Amino acid sequence: MRKLTCLIIFLGILVHVSISTGSAQETYRIGAAFALSGSIAVYGEGFKKAVDLAVEEINAAGGIKGKKIEIMYEDNKSTSKDCVTAVRKLITVDKVPVIFGPAASSNFMAAAPVAQESKVVMISAEGAAPALTKAGEYIFRVFPSDVLQGKGISDLCVRLNYKEVPIMYVNNDWGLGLKNVFVENFKKAGGKVTDEIPYDEGKTDYRTELIRATKGNPPATVNLTYIKEGAVMFKQAYEMGIKTQWICGSAAKAPKLVELAGKAVEGIIGTYPVFSQETKEIKAFKAAWKKKYGDAKIPIFGEYNYDMVFVTAKAIEKGGYTSEGIRKALFEVAKGYRGVTGDKTFDQDRGVGSEYGVWTVKDGQIVDYK
Amino acid sequence: MDFLLQSVLNGILAGCIYALFAMGLTLIYGVLNFVNFAHGELIMWGAYFLYLFMEKPFGLPIPLALPPALFLTILLGMGTDQFVFKPLRTANRLTLLIAALGLSFFLRNGAQFFWGAEIRTYGFEIKRGMRFLGVSITLNQIAIILTSILCILFLYLLFHRSRMGKSMRAVSDNLELARVVGIDTKRTIRIAWIIAALLAGVGGILLALDTNLQPGMGLINLVKAFAATLLGGVGNLWGAFWGGILIGLAENLGVLIISPGYKDAIAFGIMVLMLLIRPAVLFGSEESS
Repeated sequence: MRKLTCLIIFLGILVHVSISTGSAQETYRIGAAFALSGSIAVYGEGFKKAVDLAVEEINAAGGIKGKKIEIMYEDNKSTSKDCVTAVRKLITVDKVPVIFGPAASSNFMAAAPVAQESKVVMISAEGAAPALTKAGEYIFRVFPSDVLQGKGISDLCVRLNYKEVPIMYVNNDWGLGLKNVFVENFKKAGGKVTDEIPYDEGKTDYRTELIRATKGNPPATVNLTYIKEGAVMFKQAYEMGIKTQWICGSAAKAPKLVELAGKAVEGIIGTYPVFSQETKEIKAFKAAWKKKYGDAKIPIFGEYNYDMVFVTAKAIEKGGYTSEGIRKALFEVAKGYRGVTGDKTFDQDRGVGSEYGVWTVKDGQIVDYK
Repeated sequence: MDFLLQSVLNGILAGCIYALFAMGLTLIYGVLNFVNFAHGELIMWGAYFLYLFMEKPFGLPIPLALPPALFLTILLGMGTDQFVFKPLRTANRLTLLIAALGLSFFLRNGAQFFWGAEIRTYGFEIKRGMRFLGVSITLNQIAIILTSILCILFLYLLFHRSRMGKSMRAVSDNLELARVVGIDTKRTIRIAWIIAALLAGVGGILLALDTNLQPGMGLINLVKAFAATLLGGVGNLWGAFWGGILIGLAENLGVLIISPGYKDAIAFGIMVLMLLIRPAVLFGSEESS
C-alpha cells in the first residue's frame, strides 16, 4: 500500500514537472521561496497575497510583451535550512532566472549565496540587516537597510534641537553599524556625542550602563536597542529615576515593549521607515487590494512585495528573461521608479532609500509622534 | 543622583543575585564534588514555576503562588539528582560535567517548549525607586539584599551549629568514610539538593521580579556565579557569598572606568585568573578534596 502511494506521488511529481516545463514557453516564471508554513507563515501568507495581486494586475494589462507571468511558489518552512533547499529547487528544477527571496534577514542570508553562486537574481522585500545584499551582485532588496536609520535618528536629534547626546547601543554588528552611521551624521550636522556605551545582548542588569550613559543628566539619550533589552533598560532607568528623552530606532517599535515595560516607556520616541500614504500609487494599491480580497487591512510589508513584482516585471521586459539581463536592467528600470513604497532607485549596494517617520508611546499605545 | 553610591548599590544588588546562585552551586559542589552547570536552569524554572501559578488557570496572588512554585523547584532539583546524577555518583568528574551541561540544555529547551522563547513578566506595575542620600532603591531590591543576607545566615547556622551541617561536611570530606561512621549519606545528599534548589528558586524569582523571565536568564548569571564560587574557594559558603558581592562590585564599578562593552570581561577575567591559580576546581584532583 505504502509503495503504491509512493508511486502515485512520484508519478504526480513527474506529471507536474513535465506540465510546468511544458508551460514554460507560454509564461515568464518567477520563483518565490516564501514562508508558507512554519513559525513565520503568518507573514508569508500576506506576502503571497500581495505578490498575487501584482501578478494579476500585470497579466490583466497584457503581461510582459504579451506573455504572462507565473509565480512558482516554494515553501521555505520558515527555517534557513529549508530556505536553501527551496531556493536550490527553484534554480535547478524550475530553472527560474529570478527569485523572490525568503523573509527574515537570517533566512534570506542563508539562501543568498546559493543564488549568487548559480548567478540567479534574488530580491528581498523585507530584509533590513545591513549585510543582507553582501552575498554578491545578484542579490537585491526593495526594503531600506537599517543603516539608513542612523541618519534618520541623527536628523531627528537635530530637529528636536538636541545638540549633545550620549549613545547606547547593542554590541553586535547591527548596533555597531547603526551607531557608526549615527555618530558620523550627527557630527556632520554639528552635534556632539558625549559618550558611547556598548552593551551586551540578553543581560538582566543594565543599571550601571544606564547611569554611566546619563551621567550629567543629558536632556536626550539615543539608545539603539531591541525589544528585550529595551524593556529591561527602560524599566531600570525608570526605577532609578533617570529622566531623559529616550530616542530609539525601529527595532524597539513593538507593542511587546509596552507590554513588558509599561509606563516606563511612556513618551520614548524612535524612527521607523515610512512612505507617504497620500500618493496615487498607494491609493490605487489599497483600492485594488480591497477589490480582490474584500479586506482593507494590508498585511505588514505587503506594499514592498507588491513593488518588488512590478520592478522585476519591468526588468524582464527591458533586459530579457535571463538572470544577467534582469540583473543589469533592474538598476535602469528602478531608477526614479515611484512605487507604492516610494522611490525604488537602487544604490551601489543594490538596496533602496527611504524616508523615516517618528513613533512614540502614548497612553500605552504606539502612535506617530507629532 | 549620586553617581558613585548608586554604582556601589548596583554592584551590591548584582552581587547578591550572584551570591544566591553561587551558594547553591558551592553547596552541591561541597557535598557531591562536581560543578552543577544545570543550576542556572533550576533558577530559571523557579521563576517560571511562579509565573505558572500566577497566570491562568491558577491566577494566584504572589504569597499564595510562592509555596507551590518553590515546592516544584525543589522537586525538580531532587528529580535531576535522582534521574541524572545519582546513577553517575561514582563516575568521574568529566562525565558529571558533561551530564550537567546536557541537562542544562534539556531544561532550557524544556522551558522554551512550554512557554516559548519570548520574554515575560509577572505583570507588576513599575514604580519609581525610593530615594536615600541621592540613591534610588526599589522595594524589590531591598528584598533581594535582605533575602541574600537571611540565606547566608540560615546556611551558616545550619552548617556550623546543627548536626545536619556536620554530616554534610563529613559527606563532603569523604563519602565512604561518612557512610562507615554511620551518617545517612542519602539523606544528607537529599537535603543538600533541597537547599540548593530552594536557593535557586528564591534567587530566580527575585531576579525575575527585578527584571523579566526568559529561558536564558539562569545561564547568563550562572557563569558569574561560577566565577564567584571560584573566587570564594569552592565548597566554601561564606566565600561564595563574598565572591558574589565582590564580582558584582568589580563589574559595576569597573564600568565607570572602562567601556561597558567589556563588563563581562571583568568577571571572566577573575574566573580565568582563579582557574590559572587553582585549576584543580573544574576537573578535580586529590589535593582539592
